[in-house]
Amino acid sequence: MKRILLDGGTAYTKVYFLDEGGYQIIPTRRFKELRDDFEVELATGYNVSSYPRRVNELVALAEGGFALIDEPDFTLLDCGARDVKYVRVEGGKIVEMDWNTECGAFTGQIIELLTNYFHISLDKVPREAKRIPVTCGVLGMTKMFDLIAGGAPYEEAFSGFLKGIAHNCFLLVNRPRKLYLSGGLCENKAFIESFECSVIPLGRFVLLEGLKRCYFRKGGD
Amino acid sequence: MNEMGEKVVGIAGVPRWETIEAYLKDGYTIIDLDNPLPGASRDERILPRIYCPILRRVAENAFHLSRSGKLSLVLADVGEGKCDGMRYLASEFELAGIPVLAERNTNMRGAGFPISVSDLPLRRKMELIVDTVIKPLPPGLKLRRTKPCCGFWGVPPYDFDILDLFPEGTHIYGWTRCMENKTPADLSLELSVDPDVPTVFFAHSFCQKTALAYNLARRYQGLFVEVDERLTKATVAKIEAFIKFNVR
Repeated sequence: MKRILLDGGTAYTKVYFLDEGGYQIIPTRRFKELRDDFEVELATGYNVSSYPRRVNELVALAEGGFALIDEPDFTLLDCGARDVKYVRVEGGKIVEMDWNTECGAFTGQIIELLTNYFHISLDKVPREAKRIPVTCGVLGMTKMFDLIAGGAPYEEAFSGFLKGIAHNCFLLVNRPRKLYLSGGLCENKAFIESFECSVIPLGRFVLLEGLKRCYFRKGGD
Repeated sequence: MNEMGEKVVGIAGVPRWETIEAYLKDGYTIIDLDNPLPGASRDERILPRIYCPILRRVAENAFHLSRSGKLSLVLADVGEGKCDGMRYLASEFELAGIPVLAERNTNMRGAGFPISVSDLPLRRKMELIVDTVIKPLPPGLKLRRTKPCCGFWGVPPYDFDILDLFPEGTHIYGWTRCMENKTPADLSLELSVDPDVPTVFFAHSFCQKTALAYNLARRYQGLFVEVDERLTKATVAKIEAFIKFNVR
């Protein structure tokens, strides 16, 4: 049985192998079939309530930020499949944090759904599209479909939608000049370029880095 | 006296103690409508769904008692010590045929707040303070003042489970401290905090006090949380993380 640290997301599960090192991303539905193959030493994320040793996601995110960002002041935003959360650090101290779970259609999953539904190539998303006002993913989609019904190309409407979501995230984190990004949307160049500030993607394992910090500090081997 | 032969006064907010005491001496039972009442259930015919959860509870409790013939009167603070919402609700009670004695408790003579700064667990403190509105402290209760390691600012929450997230040594600030002090309209006391104590500034969603909580949290680098009825996973996570990273 492999000992792991686990970030159990809604769409994807991220694991870190404690014995041999290394990371893996597994679709969450698939992971549920495989879970007996793993011994979970420490877990975070939406789908981890059954594991006895857990760290809440904001703590994991903050610890991940401290592990990866060598600056006294930073803002780190995690865009997951169904929620967004962030921490703002000043002088090495957390001064702000928030976690939006109320609007489940807010971020990653709806972007993935739209990309697949319209067969949109992210390389072809125009950067100059006008931002759509997006209250949440679902309401934003209605505006996007209005544009498409009016004759706009899919990619242009989608670009406006992405900009709307990026704008919401930008407001949520209080308009920083530089933003560190974690989560699946780090791999979405069009999303990153939709922000009104400099964005530095840290990848999908930031919460696992946070878990590592917690785990090894507690004396895991 | 009501039609059941019982004499029940429901109170909302913190009416003047002298008024409450007069009803007690007359043999009335006092029920705090701000608190959960067995048998009262959610009733969205009274107030909009998007509204202060405490006022919704006051309304549901009052109508429940009234319908069951138990309620003689609602004694409500409708002034600065409570809120406009209670003032509007009191007028609604009157229109619905529920007798109301509306008053404004502007008392500024502080009775002290030893519970708020004591070493009791936060939930126990809150229960005692809420009880002090209608009855004296339990005889023999010993309160030992402690140095605060953490702060809870705000009103008594709809869902007391939030209080279990806080460590020992958490002091109470805000309107709850004003309640204990018998000065519910004392804004100066309500705004008082210990600037060096990591504090969670709590308010109910759709309550005007969210503005106070929000700005105090920014001013003192505390954590602002707003909760509509029950705790969410996100709120629990925020408070846990705030305490983990700030409370030594």
